[in-house]
Amino acid sequence: MEKFDIAVIGGGQGGLPAAHMAANLGAKVALIEMREVGGT
Amino acid sequence: MHLVQRRAHEFGVRGVNPDAVTFDLAAAVVRKDAIVKGIISGIYSALKKNKNIAFFTGHAEFISPVDIRVNGKRLTTEKTLLAVGARTATVDIPGLAEVGFITNYEALTLEYLPASMIIIGAGYVGVEFAQMYARFGTKVVMLGRAPRVMPHEDEEVSAVLADVLWAEGIDLYISAPVLRAEREGEGKVVVAQIGGEERRFKAEVILFAGGRIARVDELGLAQAGVEVERHMIQVNSELRTTASNVWSIGDANGGAMFTHRATYDGPLAALNAVRGLKKKVDYRVVPRAVFSEPAVASVGLTERQAREAGHEVKVGKHLFAHTGRAKAIGQTEGFVKIVADAKSGEIFGAHILGAHADILIHQVVTAMYNHGTAEPIAKSIHIHPTLSEAVKSAAKAIGAAPVIQTGE
Repeated sequence: MEKFDIAVIGGGQGGLPAAHMAANLGAKVALIEMREVGGT
Repeated sequence: MHLVQRRAHEFGVRGVNPDAVTFDLAAAVVRKDAIVKGIISGIYSALKKNKNIAFFTGHAEFISPVDIRVNGKRLTTEKTLLAVGARTATVDIPGLAEVGFITNYEALTLEYLPASMIIIGAGYVGVEFAQMYARFGTKVVMLGRAPRVMPHEDEEVSAVLADVLWAEGIDLYISAPVLRAEREGEGKVVVAQIGGEERRFKAEVILFAGGRIARVDELGLAQAGVEVERHMIQVNSELRTTASNVWSIGDANGGAMFTHRATYDGPLAALNAVRGLKKKVDYRVVPRAVFSEPAVASVGLTERQAREAGHEVKVGKHLFAHTGRAKAIGQTEGFVKIVADAKSGEIFGAHILGAHADILIHQVVTAMYNHGTAEPIAKSIHIHPTLSEAVKSAAKAIGAAPVIQTGE
């Protein structure tokens, strides 16, 4: 079982900058996307 | 395609036979896919470089407030940030699901050009796809339930845009609620109520563009304690949901469903979640655009909204028909309208219909960000000949400075 500080569900144009910001603040991030990154 | 067929002659281009010009949709989709692929590969390489991000592909589902299942795998996380977006609203039109329809998603991946298409919905998704397919050569019928296209925009924007769509051959009907859909031989029929009568429209493809709701299906949000109301995730001004360890951003929260809003929300919610800050979102100045041609772009309140909010307003307006650059490029439809407080002069909003409206709106966005008046736009020197002069002219027309038409 993997442990994370924060999970970001959705790798669209909102989830991506959120994941990068969280990661850059030092958090261990799980980014989960069901289709394709970038959003539709 | 549209330009070559309709305008080559006007611009002095000879040797083009408009009837011999054809359009290969499959080739356009291949080109689009190549552009998207390039963008996506850039995203993946940025993710790979960030050692603090682990990427998972699959559907996520909460199994407890701190446990998420992805493809049978369990992740434990202290906090979660939902960036799940929106999907087309569930169809409530009798027969439509059985007859079959596409959404904006499939409409970008068609491999052949339908001869005819019925578009249900006259909001921004409906407008953009109606014009796109009409220009590709599809016979388009558009059915809007509201009394005007783009019902949340300025009335005059709706009216002029409707004229433009009509002039391009789109059969646009407003105040036309759809009653049901049926099969008829090989074709699909949509029945709408228009002027007290039932009207039948037949087409090869039906595009449903009737609203978007949060994509929360099978996410297990109840397990996390996240409340969804009227199909939108409920958040406070810090983008925190009803669960204290879950934040949500973008389209799924409702409001202005635009990429640029989600991109604004994302880092703010991440800061709040990771650092425990209490930064509040400020949606006072969120510009919007519809990528029709002429384009629509707006920010803030319409004149009607400002008056209804109890403000005394003054309005400045300028037509692109009186703008030199618009004449030169042959795109004179539309106008710039700026709405300001009659007393303080602070700008309440701006509404642009015209070529490159999506670019032109930004000088008003910048002014509004600082609670500014239109004076700096009216007084600063604008390059001639540019479309931006129309924004300056509208700012001058607000009343503080007399309008002096030059260079036209």
